Amino acid sequence: MKSREQEYKEIFVAEALEYFDALNRLISDLEKRPQDDQVLAEIFRMLHNLKANAKAIGYLQISDVSHKLETAFSLIRNKELSFSDEVVTVLFEGVDLLGELIHNIDNESYGEPDPVLLRNLDIIVDNLSDSTIELAKVQRYNTSKNLSLSELVYIQIKKLDHLLNLVGELVIDRDRIVSISRELDNSELKSVSSHLNRITEDLQYSIMDARLVSIGSLFNKFPRIVRDIANAEKKEVDMVMEGYDIQIDRNILQIITDSLLHLVRNAITHGIEKPEIRAKKNKPRNGNLSLIARNDRENVLIQLTDDGKGIDLVQVRRAIAERQMLPESAVANLPDSEALSYLFEPGFSLAKQVTEFSGRGVGLDVVKNAVDSIGGRIRIDSEKGKGTTFTLQLPTSIAVKGALLFEVDEIFYAIPLLHTEQVVAIEIDELHEIGGVLVADIFGETTTVVYLNELLNVKEQEMRLGDKSRLKGLVQNIIIVSYNNRKLGIIVDKLYRQQDIVVKPLSKPLDAVDLYGGVTLLGSGKVCLVLDVPAITRYFISRRQVMAGELNI
Amino acid sequence: MPTKKHKSSDAPATVETEEVAPAGNGKEETGKLKANEPLIHLIVFKLGKEFYGIKIEQVKEVTVTPNITRMPRTPDFVKGVANIRGDIIAIMNLEERFGISPENMDVPGSLTYTLVIEAKEYSIGVVVREVPQSLNLAVSKMDKTPSFLQDIAIQENYIEGIAKVDSRLIIVLDMYKILSSDEIKQLPN
Repeated sequence: MKSREQEYKEIFVAEALEYFDALNRLISDLEKRPQDDQVLAEIFRMLHNLKANAKAIGYLQISDVSHKLETAFSLIRNKELSFSDEVVTVLFEGVDLLGELIHNIDNESYGEPDPVLLRNLDIIVDNLSDSTIELAKVQRYNTSKNLSLSELVYIQIKKLDHLLNLVGELVIDRDRIVSISRELDNSELKSVSSHLNRITEDLQYSIMDARLVSIGSLFNKFPRIVRDIANAEKKEVDMVMEGYDIQIDRNILQIITDSLLHLVRNAITHGIEKPEIRAKKNKPRNGNLSLIARNDRENVLIQLTDDGKGIDLVQVRRAIAERQMLPESAVANLPDSEALSYLFEPGFSLAKQVTEFSGRGVGLDVVKNAVDSIGGRIRIDSEKGKGTTFTLQLPTSIAVKGALLFEVDEIFYAIPLLHTEQVVAIEIDELHEIGGVLVADIFGETTTVVYLNELLNVKEQEMRLGDKSRLKGLVQNIIIVSYNNRKLGIIVDKLYRQQDIVVKPLSKPLDAVDLYGGVTLLGSGKVCLVLDVPAITRYFISRRQVMAGELNI
Repeated sequence: MPTKKHKSSDAPATVETEEVAPAGNGKEETGKLKANEPLIHLIVFKLGKEFYGIKIEQVKEVTVTPNITRMPRTPDFVKGVANIRGDIIAIMNLEERFGISPENMDVPGSLTYTLVIEAKEYSIGVVVREVPQSLNLAVSKMDKTPSFLQDIAIQENYIEGIAKVDSRLIIVLDMYKILSSDEIKQLPN
């Protein structure tokens, strides 16, 4: 694997060469039509970009020559320098020099650019119309110019999407072939299928890699945005960012862009206090905002932390009770993390009573939906007076997901690993019926448990989520899933292995069924339904509420 | 094994050739065709006691019904999903969809067939009990839907017309209209 730096350099060289080619074309145009402002503006823009890029990456010679040329063209644009034959020659030579510098970026023995040419450039820039100083003759530069094409191609993301879909299909067929060849036990077939296995995997990871971009491409936009929002809010904010080089799928980054912007805006407008207030609270006048990305196993974590006023849990609890999302007795016992998760409920902050953080919640449900849609997770941690942290856990790639396979009522299901916490097997005696649901003590934590067969396959009128007698067997396999700071244990009939799966989205009209995030084909050719943990959790909660309602009547 | 569009040899004698509108080759069941009259090519199958037809343009293929994976918490007429040549598509039972009582209950072990329908936005499979037949008929043999049917049942305007072939009535369905996305959303929550 090449280092990031090497990759940046290659991108720079490829871009620089494109600029170089375009400059050559534009100067030739300009020579024929010296009055064309558009051409001049274009030349100007390219030299400027080239200068900035070269400076950023540390190629000072290139940035220096670009700067000189840029100055010369600005004089031409301002009509302070005429585009005469002599000047044209020098400019062409300058552009050629640029090309040579770019070509020799890695050539240590290249040495210094021709001082005579540099001097000529200085002369036309400094001496304006003073023609008394002779422009020194320069040895013609590139008499034997090699034609070469760029090392970089631009590609529409749509085409990469298509490739990724195709490779997804290929992986599914590969699994099938591997499985068949195992059954047939033919040595030749086995060796072909194991080769197919390897190259498919290679292909898959190469395409996934081609779609990766560094998070810096998004982070770079934030300092300016933060400055603008802070200015408008009359607040002082210092922003720290880390993890520019973390790689993530371009489409995933695209999907969370708005969410991240929203969270940053929230943190400044509703989180960080005005300087006077901060001073009174013995906090530094400048609010701190940190945006940190890092790799976490196969995922990317993005953490946004502010040291503002934090979220008042007392008010959150009051709002939950007032909006009758939970009975008051339950609200009091709600763990902090679960109470905070209610901020993601649609319209939660619209409650007029919670003016303190109204606005905080506006759109948080939208943020969560965006994160859900790519199979990510989001959580809030907050301490009153100290600040708030949002943590986004995102998959690196959309194509392949680690998943846990299991069976319920002879149907195969998968749950993405991103949503699973742990797998436990407990005896039926350890399950208790409380308030119409099953509850178990799992590693010291009281966790609500649901029998998936009951939730999915029993008629809604006959559903008994708290009825232990519906369970089969003595030992129950439970997958603990976590969604929105809440844990739910799911009892399954048979637990299988962990496996990387390619999720195929459901095609119309089934895409409207939100319990399933998609389907995948197993090596056996069987269809496996991929459960959408957020939707299953929501469905469980709604059924529980309906049942509780029926009991009360 | 699934076969791409059953050839006439698989099907009873009424089945016609595969090519769309083979104008003028005297094999048409409706032999009294006027020359050059445009033809409609239908795939005909039975639901309950009646014959139904779908225009061949809307039918992608006919296959022996593959293994269907049930999909809990979808409407009853959705039998589940099946893998047909790598595409995962929804399989529907139109008898349940239209509330038609089946003529004879499932004979265990008997084969059923699936018409793969490709409509504008979606693909679905439709399960039928008997081998679907292919039929050419002249446009004039098809009446528009009787007006009272159109009037009362706005939701039922998936019936495109009624075709009369010999003594049979064939209800021609417009598959583009048969399944509004609202229906599939009849989810429990």
